[in-house]
Amino acid sequence: MSAPLLEVRDLRTHFFTREGVVNAVDGVSLSVDRGRTLGLVGESGSGKSVTALSIIGLIPKPPARIVSGEVIFDGRDLTTLSERQLEDVRGERIAMIFQDPMTSLNPTLTIETQLVETIRRHTDVPRREARRRAIELLDEVGIPNPDARIKDYPHRLSGGMRQRVMIAIALSCEPDLLIADEPTTALDVTVQAQVLDLLDDLRREHDMAMIVITHDMGVIAEVADEVAVMYAGQIVEHASAAALFARPEHPYTEALLGALPQLEDHASRSGRLTAIPGRPPSLLDPPPGCRFAARCLYAGEPDGCAEHPPELRELRPGHLVRSEHPASERARPREGAPA
Amino acid sequence: MSALLEVRDLVKRFPVKRGLFFERTVDYVEAVGGVSFDIAAGETLGLVGESGSGKSTTGYCVLQLMRPTSGSVRFEGRELTELSGEELRRVRRNAQIVFQDPYASLDPRMTVGNIVAEPLVVHDVGTRRDRRARVRELLDVVGFDPVYVNRYPHEFSGGQRQRIGIARALALSPRLIVCDEPVSALDVSIQAQIINLLKDLQAEFGLAYLFIAHDLAVVRSVSDRIAVMHHGRIVETGLAKDVYERPKDAYTKALLASVPVPDPARMQERKADRRKLQSAVAM
Amino acid sequence: MSSTPQEHGVGLAPLRQRKERRYPTPPDGVQTDAGAPIRASSLWRDAWYRYIRNRAAVIAGVAFLVLVAYCLIWPIVSPYDPYAVDFSQASDGPSLAHPFGTDQFGRDLFTRTALGGRVSIGIGFAATFVILTIGVTYGAIAGFLGGFVDNGLMRVLDALYGLPYLPFAIIVLAIFGGGNFWTMVVALSIASWFTTARIVRGQIITLKENDYVRAAHAVGARWLRVLGRHLLPNTLGVLVIAVFLELPGVILGEAFLSFIGLGISPPDASWGSMAQDGYRAYRTAPHIIIVPSVAIAYLILCANFIADGLRDALDPRTRET
Repeated sequence: MSAPLLEVRDLRTHFFTREGVVNAVDGVSLSVDRGRTLGLVGESGSGKSVTALSIIGLIPKPPARIVSGEVIFDGRDLTTLSERQLEDVRGERIAMIFQDPMTSLNPTLTIETQLVETIRRHTDVPRREARRRAIELLDEVGIPNPDARIKDYPHRLSGGMRQRVMIAIALSCEPDLLIADEPTTALDVTVQAQVLDLLDDLRREHDMAMIVITHDMGVIAEVADEVAVMYAGQIVEHASAAALFARPEHPYTEALLGALPQLEDHASRSGRLTAIPGRPPSLLDPPPGCRFAARCLYAGEPDGCAEHPPELRELRPGHLVRSEHPASERARPREGAPA
Repeated sequence: MSALLEVRDLVKRFPVKRGLFFERTVDYVEAVGGVSFDIAAGETLGLVGESGSGKSTTGYCVLQLMRPTSGSVRFEGRELTELSGEELRRVRRNAQIVFQDPYASLDPRMTVGNIVAEPLVVHDVGTRRDRRARVRELLDVVGFDPVYVNRYPHEFSGGQRQRIGIARALALSPRLIVCDEPVSALDVSIQAQIINLLKDLQAEFGLAYLFIAHDLAVVRSVSDRIAVMHHGRIVETGLAKDVYERPKDAYTKALLASVPVPDPARMQERKADRRKLQSAVAM
Repeated sequence: MSSTPQEHGVGLAPLRQRKERRYPTPPDGVQTDAGAPIRASSLWRDAWYRYIRNRAAVIAGVAFLVLVAYCLIWPIVSPYDPYAVDFSQASDGPSLAHPFGTDQFGRDLFTRTALGGRVSIGIGFAATFVILTIGVTYGAIAGFLGGFVDNGLMRVLDALYGLPYLPFAIIVLAIFGGGNFWTMVVALSIASWFTTARIVRGQIITLKENDYVRAAHAVGARWLRVLGRHLLPNTLGVLVIAVFLELPGVILGEAFLSFIGLGISPPDASWGSMAQDGYRAYRTAPHIIIVPSVAIAYLILCANFIADGLRDALDPRTRET
């Protein structure tokens, strides 16, 4: 068992704003092995995007700063690298694709320029060779007539096509790790399915590791081998995808899965969704104890989990939970009406 | 017995303009190409489709927020396309809309109370005191604490704003509400709150909904009947259960197969199905 | 006069017959159904804070207020009569008794500058106000109505755009005779509202696309209400900035016209007319022309910095957080 490709240890990223310090990422630890996909799931404000951006050092430096923690990628701590060194790592070893391909692609440059530029930034090949490689890549990501379309500007392509181009750019230098931040959220459902399939295939062919960030549990089920659930800047549950869906432990994970309208649910029209009352806590002034306590059905006085923050502990091999009341430890459910 | 809403052969074309000095119309984009459906009182019709399918445009045309190019929209027995001015305004009271974007659908310069009261003010209903009381009632009903009636929308989160929008839609006790992607911009846990709220309101006030969305699972959880739109046309209609479990149209089948379900065990099966179906529709 | 519910069939009977709804209290009683506002602030207060952080804008704001106070108050308390001629003191440079010196007629410049400021700033604001009124009306109508009307109005505007305002101003003054506050206002505003109209039209067109405008239509609001209650208030930010952007141009315009003798003429004071006075003596007593020139420059600088500060304050996206 080799060492994980990427290991994040106790990462803390804080935003220093006029209103105070926002603890966007507050003690996140995770790891990704070569060739595996980690799904990072959470709602808005959970800190998942900031985590990804912190890994490759793309957080906006004036208001934000990594205050502590390590990001060990292939033996090197990325947080200690200079901007120049990070630029070398980005694109070549770690690539990232974003949610909205229209704003991530430069609308004034052709696809060719953007692809070739990336290739030549990281590898020393002549222009002709780079172009050939670019066309190869476009073909690989499923763009029809790549030698013709390479000359197009981004606005002439559909959303799904643009996302494929983004993937091609990301793959162009054979990165070891691909970080995809909400890669399909802006796409139609049918296109989404295609792009997810594509990512999965490519990952296997190139033996890449992947981190997929999303709020959509369905997407997680599609592509992730392992899942980390984030809430209010912390990881609250970490397990293999199969285990997470089959036996969710953390009350938030349970509630999240319960709140999902089901496609194949027979009783759904008459039934109610399990809504989680309230809202995530403000990260300016996080609650002292468990951050989910205010909305949790099982938080209670005796354990004081509202005062003392629970640690992330290993419930079963490979299944970590940050809660005093994981499902398997609950003797009987507390009386509480879901809203 | 005629339905609450009867739409027949609704068409909406948008002109494509060119020209230096004075723009001329050179072509048309057909957003909605002949759509027909009924909604009975108290029922929910889910109008589902991907972006560009014309579903939102259909919703706007039903309410005459955009005038249809042709076709008929009969609401409570009256032909809306022939109405204008005062008559249309009067009918407007019974058919309202909830918008998708909780950040753009509320005037940032008006207080919450004024926003919800606007329908009442526009139709000159009641005295000021009556209206104030009504606003409090409405906010209460949607789960928004009436104490915050003098705050501004930007002080609230997306889910809270959506509640304000729903309160506004309810102000005149409409019989039909067009919900244009009402939960798409919200987080999953808040989505559930709002979906539950909409269902409760429907049960309580006997509302009919035209529920427009692209999220198939969401639509399923609120709809009695479903209409699937593709490229401006309805390709399949039927009871929710039937459409979801026994889809007939190829596009509907491909669409259903593409939705990711939160169950890794079923994932592989669905992937295989999906590839077959998508190639059949040649996406 | 509100209509009775029966006539229009919208009753105000209570929505529900059941008793009061109780908000569920989750553990900690922290967040209820919808909960408290997540950020308590007002749009104007936020803007104020952003403005305050811009040092240049704050200094300019204070400097501007000081200038206005000086122009309003000093002539009242000054020991000197701005019109009194006293050749014994003529063309004296700045001194303790006369901080700005005196002009060729022995009049105290410190007092005349304040007096002239009233006229120049007064004309400036009045003309700006007229410009805004015409511009907003024209732009709002074009933007709101769209279609043919918009097309027509904009083509007319395009044609007018090319016309420099100076000949127009001169023509107006020639017809109605210069030297009068209000004719100056008309002259300066008659051909200067084009940009404002454009800006407002653009703003209205953008705002029209917002869902809350559609919502107002959906509810049955008449166009006047939509325009007055939803569209125009939301253009306020742009208008406030427009005021401070138009002002320098108008001030300079007045100064120029008065300088060439078409505007305010002696013995009335405006900075332009004072400059005209001083022009002839600039070799021997330069201070007579320098004083009003500096005053004009001062005002324009202030206005520009204020406009800048306002724009940043009212549109946070232009700044880095």
